[in-house]
Amino acid sequence: MFHWLEKNPFFFAVGVFVVIAFAGLIEILPNFAEASRPVAGLKPYTVLELAGKNVYKKDNCIACHSQLIRPFKSETDRYGQYSLSGEYAYDRPFLWGSKRTGPDLHRVGNYRTTDWHENHMMDPKSVVPQSIMPAYKHMFTNLADIDTAYAEALTVKKVFATPYDAPNGTPLGTHDEAKAAALEEAKAIAADMKNQGVKDAVANGQIPEIVAIIAYMNRLK
Amino acid sequence: MNSLMIKALAFAVVLILATVVVVKGMNIDLSDPVNMITIFGAIAIAIITAGVAAKYVNQMKTDKSTGELADESWDGIGEYKNELPSGWAYSFLGTIIWALWYWLAGYPLNAYSQIGEYNEETKAYNAKFEATFANPDKATLTAMGESVFLVQCAPCHGETADGLSGKAQDLTTRMSKEQILDVIEKGSNQLAYPMGAMPPMLAQGADAEAIATYVAGGMQGTAPAAFATCVACHGADGKGNNGAAPNIVEYDDAVVSHVLQNGKKGAIGAMPSFKTRLTPVQEKALSTYLQTL
Repeated sequence: MFHWLEKNPFFFAVGVFVVIAFAGLIEILPNFAEASRPVAGLKPYTVLELAGKNVYKKDNCIACHSQLIRPFKSETDRYGQYSLSGEYAYDRPFLWGSKRTGPDLHRVGNYRTTDWHENHMMDPKSVVPQSIMPAYKHMFTNLADIDTAYAEALTVKKVFATPYDAPNGTPLGTHDEAKAAALEEAKAIAADMKNQGVKDAVANGQIPEIVAIIAYMNRLK
Repeated sequence: MNSLMIKALAFAVVLILATVVVVKGMNIDLSDPVNMITIFGAIAIAIITAGVAAKYVNQMKTDKSTGELADESWDGIGEYKNELPSGWAYSFLGTIIWALWYWLAGYPLNAYSQIGEYNEETKAYNAKFEATFANPDKATLTAMGESVFLVQCAPCHGETADGLSGKAQDLTTRMSKEQILDVIEKGSNQLAYPMGAMPPMLAQGADAEAIATYVAGGMQGTAPAAFATCVACHGADGKGNNGAAPNIVEYDDAVVSHVLQNGKKGAIGAMPSFKTRLTPVQEKALSTYLQTL
């Protein structure tokens, strides 16, 4: 009955490939599409948080810190609920990392505060005496790049339909509106900080990197 | 008996002799039945090997192929139309039945899941934790409290709980004068005590100063007249009327639990809520440990 197939080994091979590939697709794709959808209540990053995320990338925090809590009791005791794929839906790119010289940071916003980060970035040993993390004093004087962060947000909004300006979502608006919103957010954070230089800069309409990275850290929950 | 059978028997005898020689050489204790069984096994293997080899060699020498040839011929090589051996047919049917079971029940019900393993691990751990620490004594609680403190609290409050020179609450004392003045000025509605919110500005100026000095000093000596305002909720001894309002002289179980559950934002800075991060026993342990400081 199938002798014609056996006489055409090339088409036979193609047929075998199609059948197996189809089975693979219907097994893998639906699960993958489901797991990568954003979890309920997830909002896109604000412009200030994105600027903080860029500081995180620029200073290569990923070299020592991961952002992925594995489902082991020892990890969830220390860092909180294990991570889900859908939580990274708006991370472009995600910053899972693969090295934990320092602790995981995926939910650091749950158990550290603005003032702790301020002390810690200025001098890590002042709060954790055994810490081997270097100080990041330059974050208190360097200014965060809000324009690039806005461009990124606008790009993902247009190209990937990330739900900015959606009901109950993160507002983005025009460039000027976004800059004003970032400054408002920065003022709320600076109010909880003690460094006078940072407070003065924010009062003058500038946003130092430390404010942006704290906004990003507090967002990680 | 043909020559093939004789050769096979000779082969078996050689194998058995070799086994005996090796066993003698290794000085094995034959009073142990396990060793005896092993030797019988070796002999049986030798006989079966020789017998099977003889059977097939004989078959190759004498058998002639019979049966009806199939129509197809591949480059001159033909094929007999033989029945499928029954053993093959039954194993094939068996695999089909197994595949149905595996598809419908085997895989779906027994599939490995990392989250499932995590849930089981957590459940088993929690059950063990509850059984072990159902009625902990004070020493156990203090030791547990110290280890919880070092993991969860020390990053902000410091390993000695001294608040790292003003970066966080100094847990070796209750409140400083500045903190008391701050809470009198701003009021507080953070800790969800039954008594509810403390309104701001209940005392002002010199009255507030007097209260702050008195409370920060550990409530020694006579209370200032203005302290009467505080007594209504916090009690004359400042201990919070059995959990109705915060204890303002020392850390007790209630104040530790309320702060852990709700978090707090005060004169020094903010503390996040530790809701769901600690079990009730761990909270109690933490409070017991703090009271030893």
